[in-house]
Amino acid sequence: MSTRNARRNAAREKSGRNPRKEPQSPVLHTVARIAVPLTLAVSVVIFFQGHNLPGGGFIAGVLAAAAGAMYLLAFGAAKAAKFRWWKLSVLGLLVSLITGTVPLLQGKAFMDHTIALEWDTTLPLLGHELPTAAFFDLGVYLIVLGTLMTIFVELALED
Amino acid sequence: MADPQVLLLIIVFLPLAAATLALLVGRFLGAYTGVLMAGSAAVCCGLVLWLLRLSPADAPVVYDYAWMPELGVHFRLRADPFGLFFAMLISGIGTLVGIYSLGYIDPKLAANRLGRYYAALIAFMAAMLGVALSDDLILLFIFWEITSITSYMLIGFWYELEVARKGALTALLVTAMGGLAMMVGFVAIGVVAETFTISQLSEPETLARLTGSPLFVPAMLLVLLGAFTKSAQVPWHFWLPGAMVAPTPVSTYLHAATMVKAGVFLVGRMLPIFAISSLWSPILVIVGLWTFSLSAYQALYETDLKAILARTTLSTLGLIMMIYGLDAPNQDALQMFSHAGYKGALFLVAGIVEHATHTRDLRDLGGLRKAMPITFVLCVLAALSMSGLPPFFGFLAKEALYDALLHNAFLAQAPAAQWGVIALVILSNAFIFAVSFKLIIGIFLGKPSDKAHHAHEASPVLWMPVAVLAVGVLVLGLLGFTNITEHLVNALSSRGHGTEHLHVSLVPHAVGPLVLSLITIALGIVIYRARRSIETAQLRIKAFIPSAQGLWDGFIHGVTWAAENYSRRWQNGSLRWYFIGILGFYVLITLWVMNKVGLHLGQISTSLLAMPWYGAALCGLMILAMFTVVTATTRLGATIALSATGFLVSLMFVVYRSPDILLTQILIETVSTIFVLLILYHMPQFKRDQMTPGNKLLAMGISAGVGVVIFTLLMLTMSPLFRAKDTLGAGYLARTLSEGFGQNAVNVIIVDVRAIDTTGEITVLVVVGLLVYSVLRARRKTT
Repeated sequence: MSTRNARRNAAREKSGRNPRKEPQSPVLHTVARIAVPLTLAVSVVIFFQGHNLPGGGFIAGVLAAAAGAMYLLAFGAAKAAKFRWWKLSVLGLLVSLITGTVPLLQGKAFMDHTIALEWDTTLPLLGHELPTAAFFDLGVYLIVLGTLMTIFVELALED
Repeated sequence: MADPQVLLLIIVFLPLAAATLALLVGRFLGAYTGVLMAGSAAVCCGLVLWLLRLSPADAPVVYDYAWMPELGVHFRLRADPFGLFFAMLISGIGTLVGIYSLGYIDPKLAANRLGRYYAALIAFMAAMLGVALSDDLILLFIFWEITSITSYMLIGFWYELEVARKGALTALLVTAMGGLAMMVGFVAIGVVAETFTISQLSEPETLARLTGSPLFVPAMLLVLLGAFTKSAQVPWHFWLPGAMVAPTPVSTYLHAATMVKAGVFLVGRMLPIFAISSLWSPILVIVGLWTFSLSAYQALYETDLKAILARTTLSTLGLIMMIYGLDAPNQDALQMFSHAGYKGALFLVAGIVEHATHTRDLRDLGGLRKAMPITFVLCVLAALSMSGLPPFFGFLAKEALYDALLHNAFLAQAPAAQWGVIALVILSNAFIFAVSFKLIIGIFLGKPSDKAHHAHEASPVLWMPVAVLAVGVLVLGLLGFTNITEHLVNALSSRGHGTEHLHVSLVPHAVGPLVLSLITIALGIVIYRARRSIETAQLRIKAFIPSAQGLWDGFIHGVTWAAENYSRRWQNGSLRWYFIGILGFYVLITLWVMNKVGLHLGQISTSLLAMPWYGAALCGLMILAMFTVVTATTRLGATIALSATGFLVSLMFVVYRSPDILLTQILIETVSTIFVLLILYHMPQFKRDQMTPGNKLLAMGISAGVGVVIFTLLMLTMSPLFRAKDTLGAGYLARTLSEGFGQNAVNVIIVDVRAIDTTGEITVLVVVGLLVYSVLRARRKTT
């Protein structure tokens, strides 16, 4: 599916029939090449610090989607559409629901979080514990990113 | 040997497992999936018969599991004789139908379709067995609804045909509507009686509570509505003939032998509870008698084999309803047994005839006797039982009915009405008699028709199940010479309060019923002789009377018309209209609540003058940006001004040192600006100047209202009035670290304390993403 769409867009561009030619700004290209990975890295940091400091899955997901939007604007919707972003949302929902269901199978309440792992040394990003809530939060992150990117890409593909 | 309680569980869950298996492996087994149906039904039938021996009538085997103890709902199955009798019919006829299906359903159909068919059929059987054995009202209701849904799938088997879809939908709507009414009735009973256990409802203490309650009569009416719709009683009798588009094994199984009997069965179950009501007998007698005679009358002019059989089925169902109304439940097992036997056989014969001649229309049939001798004999046996001639089982049932009518305490209150009822019953039975002979003679005797020329005898897979039933009705009739049949139907009946032993015998023991039977036969012969002129007259009358189906269609049409117009009025696609609706409602409801709890602007004690100068400067800039939004002449300009406002708000959070909200605000503002820019291209032209003065005024009013309301609420939350009280925040902050193991209260609330809320929200988000994807993709594909 994805390659077919990309091919169609490419064919359109070649034949010059595309009314909205993909933007080709060198400035945007150069900036995006640095800014997109940087923003993604920041979003990962924000995700992990969310437990104790400002941040968390939702906001990190929005930040990652902002990076995705930048990528989309710089390199074109066809390139961003190569990945089916809704799959990420569905994966996220599965991650969240499974995290919630595990305590249910252990005879505890649905979504009853505990600390999954603890260790002595202080690791970067993680600190010294990994709560199960982090997995739930990962699901939120994936869903926010996946859904926002789906909307961006699909709207950008409209012509 | 196994615990008898476990047998009860196996009877319900074995077919459910078989249904799942059929769904999974159906595509590989194809037509042979029917073996699963026949096999699981046969095992269940064996278990039911075993339980019948094992379970004493006065202390039946019970399986009880506290399913939802908070609500008092139990997963409770009970092996009482009436339930086991019904389960025996279901599993026994299920076995025959499973075998018959092997020969009937075209094996060349798509394999996954065959798998779905058998899965639905087996799941239906499991649900019916659940209905028969449930001893809990809620459990009964759940199984009841599963039968409606599976029945919908089975009637709609030929879903390419519009009549099949319509017939299936009508059946589902009627029975589901009745089912919902019944559920309300069940809940009312359960709340008043403080138990949902059916066998405890008739205990004197519980019964006293029930009869003393004002909910007693409404609950009874609602439960009866459920039973009447399921058993297709007047005025809901139209769905059953419409459901005849189903494949014949389905019609036999669902619409003759089992599902339509569920309504009757339910009335039998409820009899010990509701028979005390003075309304019970009149309602059941009137509705039952009406259905009984109307359907017998209508059966005569039908020409489609299955339509004729559907009408006569309705007729018997009405008859059993009437018997319950007459407080003669000691013969329910007799009537149900007798009907299931001959009607099952006749439906299967109709299927065989259709298979051989490719028509079900009596006008195209005739002279099949030579080509199909075995089917002919079997059909004669079954039809003679339906006509009520000795020595068949049907004769015994008819005699018992006449006996009950002649000696009924309820009818004896008004002798004139008693003779009226008896006359009507005789007339209707005479019609059924004529119909029985019309079937035999119309299909098998006379000159072979064009379509009958190529007919040949069916394979044993098809006629063996018929033989079991047809010979069965003869054997059970002949056993009337001994006391075996009598013993059997007495042991299996529901036997509500105050019923006596039922005398069933082929040896005449009273003159009254025999005389009435002779009158019926004589009248039946007259009707058969004069059938052509009667049919002509009937069709003429029919043209004048609005049909129940027509009224129902009108009702459905009216509902869809109203829904369409309502939706078009409110969901008209104009974003501006939606905003007016949502925000207008918000303003009005908030003002109403504020007024109710006594909140108003005057309580604001915070002074705006206490703001630092930089805060005031930010506010000034924001007001300026908002003014730009309102006066902008292009959408792009308005968008940019709007996002400027948003970023100014985030600066405000810098002033008030609130880093996580600041972060959120900036990101959301960025992302929504991108979003607006992406859709800007697709928005219609900006037409602010074309607004009428009235529209402008409305928009201004709502904007001002929203501004005032939100301002007031925000300022009030800052005032000591609210600050002094306990706030939610304090509770959350206290629990954040101890229960959520984190220090970021906002995030711990999202992922831990209120994780279930978040689950709902993220699910919505995923659905929105999928919708955007599929709708926009589909639109692009079509243009």
